[in-house]
Parts: sequence; structure tokens; C-alpha cells
Amino acid sequence: MKKTLLVTLQALLLAGIANTTFAADKLVFGIALEPYPPFSFKSGKGEWSGFEPEMITAVCARMQADCTLNEMSWDGLIPALKSQQVDVVLNSLSITPERQQVIDFTQPYFFTRALWIGDRGLELDPTPDGLKGKIIGVQGSTTHAAFVKKYYGASSVRYYNDQDDILADLRSGRIDIMLADQLVVEPLLDNPDNSMLASKGVAPMDPLFGDGVGAGVRKGNDALRERLNVALKSLRDDGSYEKIRQRYFKTDISAL
Amino acid sequence: MTLSDISRLFLADGWLQALAQGMVRTLGISLGAFVLGLALGLIVAMVKLKGPRWMVVCANCYTTLYRAVPELLLILLLYYAGADLINLTLAAFGQPSVEINGFIAAIVVLGIVQGAYSGEIIRGAIESIPHGQIEAAKAYGINRGLLVRRVILPSMLPFAIAGLSNLWLVLVKESALISVVGYSELLTAGRQAAASTKHYLLFYLAVGAFYYLITLVSSSVFRQVEVRFERWMPRHA
Repeated sequence: MKKTLLVTLQALLLAGIANTTFAADKLVFGIALEPYPPFSFKSGKGEWSGFEPEMITAVCARMQADCTLNEMSWDGLIPALKSQQVDVVLNSLSITPERQQVIDFTQPYFFTRALWIGDRGLELDPTPDGLKGKIIGVQGSTTHAAFVKKYYGASSVRYYNDQDDILADLRSGRIDIMLADQLVVEPLLDNPDNSMLASKGVAPMDPLFGDGVGAGVRKGNDALRERLNVALKSLRDDGSYEKIRQRYFKTDISAL
Repeated sequence: MTLSDISRLFLADGWLQALAQGMVRTLGISLGAFVLGLALGLIVAMVKLKGPRWMVVCANCYTTLYRAVPELLLILLLYYAGADLINLTLAAFGQPSVEINGFIAAIVVLGIVQGAYSGEIIRGAIESIPHGQIEAAKAYGINRGLLVRRVILPSMLPFAIAGLSNLWLVLVKESALISVVGYSELLTAGRQAAASTKHYLLFYLAVGAFYYLITLVSSSVFRQVEVRFERWMPRHA
């Protein structure tokens, strides 16, 4: 009896140790608290869903890490990463040279283009000349904002905190045209609310749009970056990535 | 939109619960900041009235500075720059980094600003105590601590309570500023609900109703408190 007790105790103790090593591997993912379907959106009951929350869950399962989400505003994600409030940002963060100066990126896990959206009835040529004097709406701290700021000096640019506000202002005519992520806004055009809006063409390729979308980690955190790379690659190799992708996107997004 | 649509949005989709959670957080921020503000205000008022010269200068700097700078700027400063600074300092001492969450940042920032305002209110209230009462207490040989607790605080509160209840109501609304850092208090929860469901009018009105509810309840609480604090004051018919 005494021996059984001892063995049980030992087993419990070992399990406890195993548990602590497991629990020590905690990762905090930063996520922007805004509806950004189909990439990330939150239900009224407080559950996150979308392509990226599912990717986070899958990646964490591969890395055997205990992951939590830390919600914040979009333009607070990189500051939060730098000030160690989060460890990873896997939230539609394009890999741009500008961002690579302050944070490190994993390999890209999807690619996307930028799309111009404007009033259906309005003839708009989305070139710097064609938009001279027009009002362009973009989300602040995005690749789209950087692109518009560089090439569209003759237009006036309005910066928004989330994409939903840009669409609302576009519908009510406060801005003439908006530039946003094609994968996000194209499905929104089918929404009856947006029936007065139409695509005005895909923006040309530009280094400012970055080289795909990757997960961001703190500069110099190479161990974590490599673990994420390995996890992302294994998800892609065994088809799990493809399964998640099919739930949210009709087309392949793993390459341009 | 029919009534059943509304009930589906609020109940089945769970947005009412999200808003209620937001309200609890708003109340938490406001209460924390109010208590911190009162403590700071009391210290500031005491220093301004009785402190040595250099401390009075410091207290004056504090109230002037924090009443001059927008709370929004302070929130951004503390949340982004402050977190960096604190972690750099901790790293210099070899300590692990800390996480500054929106809740703490909101309480600290709003509390510091509240301290500047409530300090002025409390100072004014103490100054309106008839001086003879304090002299009388001193004549009995009462010590400093007891003087504050038994004489100054009870006779100051009736003068301060109206100003403080005003401050509280302003504070509840200012707590909405923390939404800029994406902390999900009442306003953020409402924005989230409105943007996800595209029912802007409905949810912004609901958020307004929640704020109104807080105001309504806290006004009646303050009325009770006021009656209690003023129970020994002469009644003017």
C-alpha cells in the first residue's frame, strides 16, 4: 500500500514537472481588435475566428506552445511587439523593408495584392494623374498608406484606424476612392450594403507593398522565428494549411 | 428592423454580453482611477496648504501640467513610450519585462489627471472650513493625524462632494479614451459590435444607453452620500 502510494506520488510529481516545462512555453500573439474578415473577426460571444486565428491555433499545436491572444489596435501591434507585450504578430502584416528595420519576419504565409474601390457610377483612373485632387482613404500604418503617401502627393489622403470606417466614408461620399487588401475587400463588394461600390482595378506591384505576409517577431528572436518557420512549413507540407485556406478563400493565396 | 432581429443580435449573437463586459471594464477603470485620483488629490491639497515651499512648487507644477495636457496624449505616451521605458529600466537592472495592459495604463493615466483636478477641489473645500474649528481642535491638543481624520475630512466633504461627483461623471466618459489602444471597454465593445453586424445606429445607441445607465445609478449613489455627509450642516429652507 505504502509502495503504491509512493509510486503514485512520484508519478504525480513527474507529471507536475512535465506540466511546468510545458506551461513555461507560453507565447502571446498580438491581434488587432477590429473586424477584418475573412482574416480575423470576433463574435459577440468573444470567440475569434477567421483564417489567421485558425493559423495561430494550428501553428501553436505544431510548436506545442501554450498560446494566448492579446487584443489591441492595429497600429499598436508593432509597438507592443517591441515593448515585449506580445511575442508574435500573425495578423496580415506584410513584409516590408521599412518594417524589417524594427522587427523580424518569418517566411511569408500568404500573398495578396492591393485593390482600388470606388463608387460604381464614377469613372476613376487610379493612377497618380487620374486621382489628382481626389480624396483617397487608406488605413493608417499599412502598406497601402505607405504606397499612397509616396506616389499620390497630388491627391489628399485620409488615414483611418480601421477598414470598416473607410468603407463607411466611401459609401457616404466623404472620400472618392480607397485602397485596401484585395482578399479582404473583394468579398465585401458582394455585400448588398456595398452595392454602390465597385472595383477600380488592382494596384501595380511595388516594393512598398512588401514581399508577402509573414509573422512578425522581435528583432533578434531567431529561435522563435525558426520555430515558427518550421511549424508553418510543416503545416504546408501535410496539407493542413490548404484545408484552413479553403475554408476562407476560393483561390490559392500561398503564391502570387 | 424588427424586434426579433434586435433580440437575435443582442441575445443569440451575444453582443449584449459583450457590451455588459465592456461596461464592467469601464466601471473598473473609472473606479480605480477615481480612488487613485482621490488619494493623489488629498496629498496634493495637504501639500499645497501646509507643505514646505519646494513641495508646494512641485504640487503646483503637477496640477498645472496635468490639467494642461490632453488625457489622450498621456494615454498614448504611457501605453507605448512608457511601456518601453519601464522595460528598458527593468532590463538595466536585469529584471524580466512587465506587461502594461490597457487596464492598468488607463487607471494610472486617468488617476494622475484626476489627482490634479481633485487636488484643487479638495484644497478649495478645506479652505472653506471656518478656521475657528481647526483652531479649536488644536487648542484641545489634538494631534495632526486625528485632526485630519476627525475634523478636516468630515467638515471638508460637504463642500467637496458636489465637485467630486462631477469629476466622477467626467471620468466615466473619459475612460472611453482608452479605446485608442484597443482595450475592449464599453466603447470598443460597441464599435466592435457595430462594425461586425453593420448595425451602427442600434449599437451606438445601445452604448449611449449603457453610459446613461452608469450616470443614472452613480448620481443616485452620490445623492445618498451627499445626504449622509451633510447631515450635520444647517438646512436652508
